[in-house]
Amino acid sequence: MEFLLNWVLPCIYSFGACIGFCLLFNIHGPGMLICGGGGALGWLVYLLMGLCSTTIFPRYLAAAVAITLYSELMARIRRCPVTSYLIVALLPLVPGGGIYYAMRYSLSGDNQQFLTTLLNVFGIAGTLALGALLASSVVRLFITFAHRAHKHK
Amino acid sequence: MDHHSLLNLATELARHMMECGAEIYRVEDSVLRLMRAYGARDAQIFAIPNCITISLTSETGEPVTRLCRVASHSTDLDCLELCNDLCRRLCEQTPPVEQAHKELADIFRHRPRFHPLAVMLGHFLIGAFFTPFFGGGLLDALCGGLCGLAIYFANRFLAPLAGPNVFFRTLLAAAASSLAAQLLVYAGIGQQIDTITIGALMILVPGVSLTTAMREVMAGDLVSGVSRTAESILSATAIALGTGAAMFLGGLL
Repeated sequence: MEFLLNWVLPCIYSFGACIGFCLLFNIHGPGMLICGGGGALGWLVYLLMGLCSTTIFPRYLAAAVAITLYSELMARIRRCPVTSYLIVALLPLVPGGGIYYAMRYSLSGDNQQFLTTLLNVFGIAGTLALGALLASSVVRLFITFAHRAHKHK
Repeated sequence: MDHHSLLNLATELARHMMECGAEIYRVEDSVLRLMRAYGARDAQIFAIPNCITISLTSETGEPVTRLCRVASHSTDLDCLELCNDLCRRLCEQTPPVEQAHKELADIFRHRPRFHPLAVMLGHFLIGAFFTPFFGGGLLDALCGGLCGLAIYFANRFLAPLAGPNVFFRTLLAAAASSLAAQLLVYAGIGQQIDTITIGALMILVPGVSLTTAMREVMAGDLVSGVSRTAESILSATAIALGTGAAMFLGGLL
């Protein structure tokens, strides 16, 4: 039961929310399932990294890397732009809660907490960017090398 | 070959792709490939998020340039995929330019679109799934979904009042969803106002422009990358301001 609550349900929520975004961004057919799967995968990696990391930044980094690799793979298989899958699957990781709590703290006049939360939001956004950047650069390098090796044969 | 109609074709393709939310490097790369495939001499393109400039040299050596402003940006990923496929096919087969024009117009006319009810369902699903994602209960999820619908209606009916300004649109939508959340909690249906509000706000959070911005910075398009980053920071500020104003209002009532 606890396993279900802590591990399975959050991933299902992430999956469902990504399907909702597919409806907003006009993604049809199997692309919807791929996006949902990416969202669930990202959150699963985030949760799994919680076992070996006490701070949140490595968890976001690993999740972003996992999602990017997954999207690049799916885009290669279906021969379409990576962006569609990457954009939607990354959305559950975007720190919407942070923006809200920062606003709450600033309304209640708690400047210390406000600044901490705000820095956290920027940190998370930066980490997501870094993770996606890292993973897609590695993929690009790998593909270039593979092409070259293929030509030399 | 008629370089004027080729220039028009390239501009239309670039404009469609930009309106669907493509990154700058994708637009520039596709258009360059297209023009080279059709044998344009010295094809050049420069694009920033709201403007495209395309130029080529005709057979007689005179330069031709066309500039096109891109007014609206939406995110239509299916249409982007279709444009991408079309561009790839045009580059391989190079059919007559008139036929290419027709195919491009066909894509835009016959692209698959969701029924407004499905889009409403999408708003509801996002709110309803993100609320328990952030720790809400079952009834909170229902409230989150309803607040998502509030954002849909705010975007549909209030946004025209705000004009083309994304900042005020986001602000209005965030305020509407926050007011709805407070009403629902006040009515006793929802329990945790925080999770409900956050769940619905995830619809407005600028995740798309942030992702696009960092991909552009990575590709070296600093101008558009920085302007999109600024856009996402502004949207986040608008969300905070709208929610804050609505909560302040709710506290007064």
